[in-house]
Amino acid sequence: MDLQRDTEHNLLADSAERMLSENYDFSTRHGNQADQGENAAWADDMWRQFAQLGWLALPFAEEDGGLGAGMVEISILAEAFGRNLVTEPYMTTVVLSGGLIAAIGTPEQRADTLPAIGEGTLRLAFMGGGLGDISVDAAPSGDGYKLSGARKSVIDAPMAARLLVPARIGDSAGIFMIDCDATGVTLRPHRTLDGGRAADVELTGVNVSRAQLLGGLEDASDALGAAIDRTIAALSADAAGAIGKLVEETLEYTKTREQFGRPISKFQVLAHRLVAMKVSEEEARAVATLAVLSAEAPAKMRRRAVSSAKSKVGRCARFVGQNAIQTHGAIGTTADLTIGNYVKRLMVFEARYGSTAHHAELYAAIIADPDTAGAGLLLSPAA
Amino acid sequence: MDLNLAAEDVAFAKEVRAFIDTNLPDATRRAMTLTTAFLNEPELGYEWHKILHEKNGWSVPSWPDEWGGPGWTPVQKYIFDLESARAGTPVYNGQGSRMVGPVLMHFGTQEQKDKYLPSICSGEDHWCQGYSEPGSGSDLASLKTKAVADGDDYIINGQKIWTSFAHKSNRMFALVRTSSEGKRQEGITFILLDMDLPGITIRPIIGNGGDHEFNEVFFDDVRVPQSGRVGEENKGWDVAKFLLEFERGGALVAGRVRAQFAKVVRLIRDRGLSNDAHIRARMAEIGADLDTMEMVDIRVLSDLQSGANPGAISSMLKMRWSSIRQEVSELALDAAGEDILKWEPERPLYDALQLPPDEEELLGIAPRYLNFRAYTILGGTNEIQAEILGKRVLDL
Repeated sequence: MDLQRDTEHNLLADSAERMLSENYDFSTRHGNQADQGENAAWADDMWRQFAQLGWLALPFAEEDGGLGAGMVEISILAEAFGRNLVTEPYMTTVVLSGGLIAAIGTPEQRADTLPAIGEGTLRLAFMGGGLGDISVDAAPSGDGYKLSGARKSVIDAPMAARLLVPARIGDSAGIFMIDCDATGVTLRPHRTLDGGRAADVELTGVNVSRAQLLGGLEDASDALGAAIDRTIAALSADAAGAIGKLVEETLEYTKTREQFGRPISKFQVLAHRLVAMKVSEEEARAVATLAVLSAEAPAKMRRRAVSSAKSKVGRCARFVGQNAIQTHGAIGTTADLTIGNYVKRLMVFEARYGSTAHHAELYAAIIADPDTAGAGLLLSPAA
Repeated sequence: MDLNLAAEDVAFAKEVRAFIDTNLPDATRRAMTLTTAFLNEPELGYEWHKILHEKNGWSVPSWPDEWGGPGWTPVQKYIFDLESARAGTPVYNGQGSRMVGPVLMHFGTQEQKDKYLPSICSGEDHWCQGYSEPGSGSDLASLKTKAVADGDDYIINGQKIWTSFAHKSNRMFALVRTSSEGKRQEGITFILLDMDLPGITIRPIIGNGGDHEFNEVFFDDVRVPQSGRVGEENKGWDVAKFLLEFERGGALVAGRVRAQFAKVVRLIRDRGLSNDAHIRARMAEIGADLDTMEMVDIRVLSDLQSGANPGAISSMLKMRWSSIRQEVSELALDAAGEDILKWEPERPLYDALQLPPDEEELLGIAPRYLNFRAYTILGGTNEIQAEILGKRVLDL
């Protein structure tokens, strides 16, 4: 048991925060992306900088061209992304798609993709939702399959060259890797609530070969679940970062805004609300850490930790978001301040990969067993 | 960073679990499941305390071996608490072992340490805390109980209130006013006294839950030797602050609250309510809140283990754990429905009842819900904790 960040963790956290706070201006990027038009090719110096810093190769094994880091390092980056409103396709490309390929890809599939992801030359999006949420069917066809189905708002798809597509093969689920410009693939790009980009994607009888089935596995459900959970864990850290920033900005505002001749932070009702927001931030960070440190645990413990975190961070996000706006007063409701962008980011967090309510339900199903409800989080006393 | 216990800690956990399973009397287990006050009856704890005392000082888990404790690491102590909570062991004399003991180790004279520490360790003494007064609750520094020096003694006059188990304690540590000059905090003295001194009167306060846990304690010209003073005269506030830190953050309570939660989840299942939409949603919320605060506990533990100072987090722990405990007791109330109507006035319940276990258990739910309202009040209300956090963490 050890929850202390070591020197390397602190270096990564400091350098990520410094790099992003100095170079990553959300408003500028937001504008730039709009200027490029919905279908403009996405080439960007920021993504190259991510590659140069090693961030894009962070979780991959050395033989795959990676740096061999784990979920703790990913979560440190994620928190900095949340604090700085980063909309680059990191979670979809590196954590989810890269993570899946690294976990179950054949040697050819790994060699074909992971070094390119790490170098910044290949981006992937994920055409699936939360656990068990699959909207594509794979029908056997010749030596391969035909994929048919549709999904709205496939995050980061306009910036990706390939899609990972979870698809039903009979009663099981396999994962296919397809090119975005393959015959039968239609993308309708659009903006997202948090300033990112997505596309409504439709697959109409897309022909795929067996070589495009990840790991050659007709049932990749376990790996899929684990990869989605890792992504939720990382996004929980991202959300904790955004929550922290909202608390900071609200605190700062109440100390400078004066009404009735004094800073509004001096009013007890606001002081106690700020404390409640700060407590909520600490809670979000603590439970996100639970998900991050349980990401490689046995499936039952991982599921419990991740749904606990997704539901709890979601509640913290809503509480802090609403109170950040309320505490700022009228100006808080406007697009003039960045707090609205943080609130939107947290709304996206809540909606992705299973909503807050959905994960509360998944979690309830797990802890309805008294023995599970009674089991502590340390792995594992008197096991 | 990880949540894995080291191999030696896993072995330690097994040793503790085996010891408790072998030695905790069945009657005590039953009595604990029927305890409705937030502290169990001292008599119930005393027997278990003696068993632990004979086991190399396990009766005072946080104490160094110099004073008869086991000298455990923070992780070992945490594991001991987890295993004790899982098994539902009683606690005994927390005011002695968790409060006045550490205070004496820090501020006491050698004579005081020699006089008081061994009998806390053995369980011979039971302590109560004389802090609050009728006019001094959250504003503790306004306290008025007066101590006037007279030769080698103080003569004490005044009144304390909310004194847990004063009627079952033989010793008290108290804050008394020795000066009315200057700042209020600078006229307070920390004093130890015996409860059988002439002039002390105890009057019971019965809680909404039917339990006699609190008392009023009256002092009428009570002569107390000055040798019982801890620290200098008028410097008692510093001692009190040190002690309050122990009261708030000294106990990482994840294990106890989780055991309480597991019990309610079992009740929900046994009553066929696992699929009730309201109950299920609340169960999920409270469970996730509990996981969250257990992670905060573990972080504090990790800080302690690595020699870092957890800081003002103790106020957050107090605030959130007290609320979660209440929510768990509320969930039990919701699950019990109409079955809370039957009321057994006798206390303790375990002496009053002779019913099948599931019927007995139902009778504890309403009293516990009522008694647990005190959690967010005692030891500094949650509003006071918010004041402390606002000042120390947010610099408001």
